[in-house]
Amino acid sequence: MSKFILEAVDLNYSYPDGTNALRKVNLPIKKGEKLAILGSNGAGKSTLFMQFNGIYRPDSGCIKYQGEEISYKNKALIELRKKVGIVFQDPDSQLFSASVWQDISFGPLNLGLSEQAVIKRVEQALIDTETTDLQDKPTHMLSYGQKKRVSIAGILAMEPEIIIFDEPTAGLDPRHAREFMLLLDKLSNQGKTMILSTHDVDLAYSWSDRIAIMNSGEIIAHGEPSELFRQPELIERADLVLPWLIEMHYELVNKGWLPSSAPLPKTKQDLLINVPAKSNQLWRLA
Amino acid sequence: MIAIDCYAYSNALKTVHPLEKSIFAMMTMVVCITSPTLITPLIILAIMAGGIIFKAGIPTRVFIKLLFIPLSFLLISVLTIAFSISTNPSGFLFAQNINGFTIGIRYPELVKAGHLFSKSLGAVSCLYFLALTTPITELITVLHKIKVPYIITELMVLIYRFIFVFLDTAITIRRAQSSRLGYVSLKSSYRSLSQLFSALLGKVFLKSRELYDAMSARCYTGEIKVLTKKYPVRLKNYLIIMVIEIPLILLNLLWR
Repeated sequence: MSKFILEAVDLNYSYPDGTNALRKVNLPIKKGEKLAILGSNGAGKSTLFMQFNGIYRPDSGCIKYQGEEISYKNKALIELRKKVGIVFQDPDSQLFSASVWQDISFGPLNLGLSEQAVIKRVEQALIDTETTDLQDKPTHMLSYGQKKRVSIAGILAMEPEIIIFDEPTAGLDPRHAREFMLLLDKLSNQGKTMILSTHDVDLAYSWSDRIAIMNSGEIIAHGEPSELFRQPELIERADLVLPWLIEMHYELVNKGWLPSSAPLPKTKQDLLINVPAKSNQLWRLA
Repeated sequence: MIAIDCYAYSNALKTVHPLEKSIFAMMTMVVCITSPTLITPLIILAIMAGGIIFKAGIPTRVFIKLLFIPLSFLLISVLTIAFSISTNPSGFLFAQNINGFTIGIRYPELVKAGHLFSKSLGAVSCLYFLALTTPITELITVLHKIKVPYIITELMVLIYRFIFVFLDTAITIRRAQSSRLGYVSLKSSYRSLSQLFSALLGKVFLKSRELYDAMSARCYTGEIKVLTKKYPVRLKNYLIIMVIEIPLILLNLLWR
């Protein structure tokens, strides 16, 4: 057993029109980790995801699942896709049926489960994504965010080991975005490996164990979030910005509200807890 | 079209088993079309109107509007049957003579036309009952159950879904064009419309590719397998169907 559940090794891929979408991408993913892939539009995030479950075949290099190079034979691909689920960015290209219930049942039925087991999984997925009251509505009458949640339910019902989310919070309102993050935490507690692409640096910074930054088909850096965001030039090169938590932290350090030894805050609470109350400070100055 | 679809999902009969509704609508339609009398279709129209308005809770206004849609086609065809041309001026209820020809309405043709008119309207009301109370997705499941080939039901699933996706896309493109005065004159309208279609065609190809990829990612192997929600089978409904159909069939058979 390899210590990586999924790994991209020297991946090169170009689209038929000649666009170099991926250039020598190396990315190991540990079992159970939360990996965020940050990058501007067209950086190659979605293309990389399509490699991870064998939808696209690399021009050179390979994808390894549990240390073994994946095979592109039909049977092997199906086995891989049972383990690696992708929630696509555009729910309209993922939902193929006008019935919410039918669409969610499609994946688990393809796993060869019994009807009873499928019904159970569909119901659980509906609960997890808070779509139970949408089940009788046709998909074309749902809002974008609702469609997105249904498409997430469609993958959850397959219970893959690794779940890849392509821009999951884009188009969700704040409440559902927050609930989606809670759902991710729950999945993470179940030991699932999760990969998520986003432009949202705040989300990536707070949520992930590890971040990979992509820029025009290359992974220009990957590592712990706090490590990466200490390198402003890197962030700028990838057309990203610093998370507000970090900017705020530096500002507070610069202005003397926080000691320079203070640890980087991971959440809003971490930051606020370190900021002293005004009266205390005055008292200390006096 | 879209209104019918909305009501199919939100009417008061949506929890009734789709097979029961299909059997009811189809049987009644056959009885209506085979009827030798004018009375059966009229009774059927009344039953269906009652079912649609009182049982399914569709607004009367909507149902009447829907009935007007086939009315124009119907009137044209009925008029061509009702009027006849002949060299023999006898037997006409009222007529006009032109150069020895008589154009007008004779009694048997008038009866035939009235009969056809009521039959068509009755049959249409049966179809409306089914369309207004049963979502397409469930009708497809019924077709699947009665062993219609996979290829047809699968195509129906995809076509039905993508009608709405492309309709949305087309509406968005059209709005974007109108907001830049794309339809300000006849000439620009033609140009904008052609651009809309070509943009839509491109989107169709792109979407079909994306859909295939997304389905492959969910272990698609060439057959779309889905589960549909189960509806309770109610014996009572079959009894109601029989109570309605048997007198109508008897009326058809005994009418002389």
